[in-house]
Amino acid sequence: MRWHKRLLAAGAVAAVTLSAAACAGGQVRGAADSTEPAPSAGGAGSAADSTFTYVPNLDVVTDWDPASSYSNEIIAMQNIYESLTRYNPQTKKAEPRLASSWTSSPDGKKWTFTLREGATFHTGKPVDAAAAKASIERTIKEGQGAAYIWSAVKKIEAKDATTLEFTLKYPTPLDLVASAGYAAYVYDTTAASGDLKKWFGEGHDAGSGPYTVESWQKGKETELTLKAYDGYWGGWDGAHYKKLAFRVTPELTTAWQLLQRGEVSFVQRLNSQLFAQAGNTNTVQTAQTPSFQNLLVLFNTADGPLKDVKLRQALQKAIDYDGLVAALKGAGVAASGLVPEGLLGYTQGLTPKQDLAGAEALLKEAGYGPGGKQLELSLTYAQGDSDQELLVTLLSSALDKLNVKLSAKPLQWTTQWDQGKAKDPAKRQDVFVMYWFPDYADAYSWFVNVFHGEDAPQFNLSYLKDAAVDKEIDGLPALTATDQPAAEKAYSGLQEKIINEKAAVAVPYVQTYQRAFAKSVQGYTDNPAYPNVVFAYDLKPGA
Amino acid sequence: MPGYLIRRLGQALLVVAGVIVLTFAVMRLVPGDPAVAYAGPKATAAELADARRRFGLDDPLPVQLWNYVRDLLGGDWGTSLHTRRPVRDDLFQAFPASLELVGVALVVALVAGIPLGIAAARYKGRLPDLSVRLSSMLAVSVPVFWLALALQTVFASGLGWFPVAGEYDASLDRTSPLHLYTNITAVDALITGNWPILASTLSHLVLPALVIAAYPAGVVAQMTRAALIEESSREHARLERALGFGETAVLTRFSLRPALNPVLALIALVFAYSIVNGFLVEAVFNWPGLGRYAADSIRSLDTPAIAGVTLLVAVLYVVANLVVDLLQGVVDPRVRAR
Repeated sequence: MRWHKRLLAAGAVAAVTLSAAACAGGQVRGAADSTEPAPSAGGAGSAADSTFTYVPNLDVVTDWDPASSYSNEIIAMQNIYESLTRYNPQTKKAEPRLASSWTSSPDGKKWTFTLREGATFHTGKPVDAAAAKASIERTIKEGQGAAYIWSAVKKIEAKDATTLEFTLKYPTPLDLVASAGYAAYVYDTTAASGDLKKWFGEGHDAGSGPYTVESWQKGKETELTLKAYDGYWGGWDGAHYKKLAFRVTPELTTAWQLLQRGEVSFVQRLNSQLFAQAGNTNTVQTAQTPSFQNLLVLFNTADGPLKDVKLRQALQKAIDYDGLVAALKGAGVAASGLVPEGLLGYTQGLTPKQDLAGAEALLKEAGYGPGGKQLELSLTYAQGDSDQELLVTLLSSALDKLNVKLSAKPLQWTTQWDQGKAKDPAKRQDVFVMYWFPDYADAYSWFVNVFHGEDAPQFNLSYLKDAAVDKEIDGLPALTATDQPAAEKAYSGLQEKIINEKAAVAVPYVQTYQRAFAKSVQGYTDNPAYPNVVFAYDLKPGA
Repeated sequence: MPGYLIRRLGQALLVVAGVIVLTFAVMRLVPGDPAVAYAGPKATAAELADARRRFGLDDPLPVQLWNYVRDLLGGDWGTSLHTRRPVRDDLFQAFPASLELVGVALVVALVAGIPLGIAAARYKGRLPDLSVRLSSMLAVSVPVFWLALALQTVFASGLGWFPVAGEYDASLDRTSPLHLYTNITAVDALITGNWPILASTLSHLVLPALVIAAYPAGVVAQMTRAALIEESSREHARLERALGFGETAVLTRFSLRPALNPVLALIALVFAYSIVNGFLVEAVFNWPGLGRYAADSIRSLDTPAIAGVTLLVAVLYVVANLVVDLLQGVVDPRVRAR
């Protein structure tokens, strides 16, 4: 055999070996049994094909189980599953979803939900009180993800087909809990004949929402496709998207080009340059909405130099809040207190301003500042987060002028958190920078998690331990459940105390969602209680 | 030949064993707690303890290493902290797409690089030679990320000649479902005669494959040129010229075969390098290969997945080198005799 023939043969053998190594064994990719009309190549949601194509930056589904799901899959799950209520950030109240109405006892410890009639799961079974009870009880029993939101629940009873009664251990705003983005889904616990978790893990769903899973291909570009559930209680009269596709696109430039070409309907995130470009493009619309996620700069109130409240106040005054918001170019808005706008407890008039003269005076009072001793501080923040990096750069530069040396360390979250939780207080940082967001639309999350005294710190990384503050925090759920004006007042007072009096934290900004979507998409509004979720059923496909 | 084969296999196994130990060490040296990565940023102490127990993170390091090697040998590459699926399954899903892309890119690189190298050697010091040297220099020095964005912006977004991103038009999944045998889309489409998916895949392959092919094409052209110039200055070439063979015949009929030896060795290295180099290209073109999986793993500090990708790439390097060594034996009998 001539040499080049031998080479060709050897190459062929190698190719066959490699192919065999990757053998998939005769599976079929795609929905072979689908009888739906095929969408156009673009899939940008024309009236003819009614496919809404969502572009996320990350993989969509990590956990299919509605009991434990606690990740990016919320963008799909909220279109597949429903909770009893849905939060409305405009009214700051929960609104009907699977529950058409509800009442609570005067002490806030008994809640009765009346379920909507005619709703069915994708399995065909009715959504009744027994099914809702079974699903919430399973979620509580699984105890994963955000299941803790039901921790106040003592007993659930299905009084009749449409009446679901909760008895609580302590007063809690259960209508808000029931609107949570995670762990509040109502689902058919009898959907699988065997192991339900395994069944979910294979990409099945048992929700009652407007869409159901059509295909799921982990790792593929179009990872997930949902199709309309014909038996949806809301009906399909009028214009609705009939399909929802998730096209994972990590590269922002690529996402923008896909939108520009009309190949997709909605881009979850763009950088500020591309977002500005989107704003000047005829075929594209943009929307900016403040989120429920804010950046916290937590000062070590327990150890080190910042034990002195004057130094903490000086640091608060040194932050260039306006400069930071300007540099974020729309990716963040000025914060007013700890609670973002749209939540009960949001308080106007707490927007901080930079005051270098004030900072200098406070430093001097504490024996530091220009001409005095140099103050050395350590700060940790999230590696790879350009917004936090910007804050650190501006703060370092401002502090430098005040004779304060800031040693800032970018760290992976796990490392940063481990250091913050270190048993030895000497190993902890002076300043800890992190984001916080609530698991359901209730400002209580910030206070109980970040500022309630803890023996071993978990998220209280300012290490604040104040019995009076703790007592006020403990009273918040009952007030929210029974007396909302009083709750507003309590939240306002607590923020004054934690930010101004204790100076445990500075809140530089609230993150903003910057969305870009096709001109043909009508009716889009961002709901920050459900991060990055597009409720596709509520949209109208245009021409 | 059998002795040569056994020697090379033994060396390859040693390298793989070394890589396994190194991968394990890196997994444990990376700062941060994998239990946190698995249980989530708001995990309770009990959930963290459960995750630590599940992954054996409380065991002494030698025990962890032994368990890791034992599991690897048993086909268990661990569970991804991010996707929560077996790493091996994730890799088997992602790797064929990368193999498809790099395979096509290497074919393009060889088809372009070898003739260009021959042309440069044939016209040494003249315009074709200078052009090849200049263009191959550009091809190897332009960052792939930049080249990917530039080609995408001009030929996909601007001129609309090619798709912006993706492996094929996803809507074809409904109209022309693809039967999978190798998990390599183009191969499966060809085997099963699924022409719509084949055509769509090929059009989606053009831009990313060209970007990945740029570096190996440049290197192959330079190497072919240099090897041919050296080979054509040997004694046999003088004899061939004296017998009246033209310069082109001397280069292609007599010098090319021995000159291909170093080129083949280079291809092995370039193949594995292109898999890693392609990660960035995959990100730009949304190619569902190892690149996206690796990027997601790094972002979420998914150490089992990072280790899996590292190990796979290392094994690829070893296998590619082994295959080329064997191919060199086929092409050049002197290698077998060594």
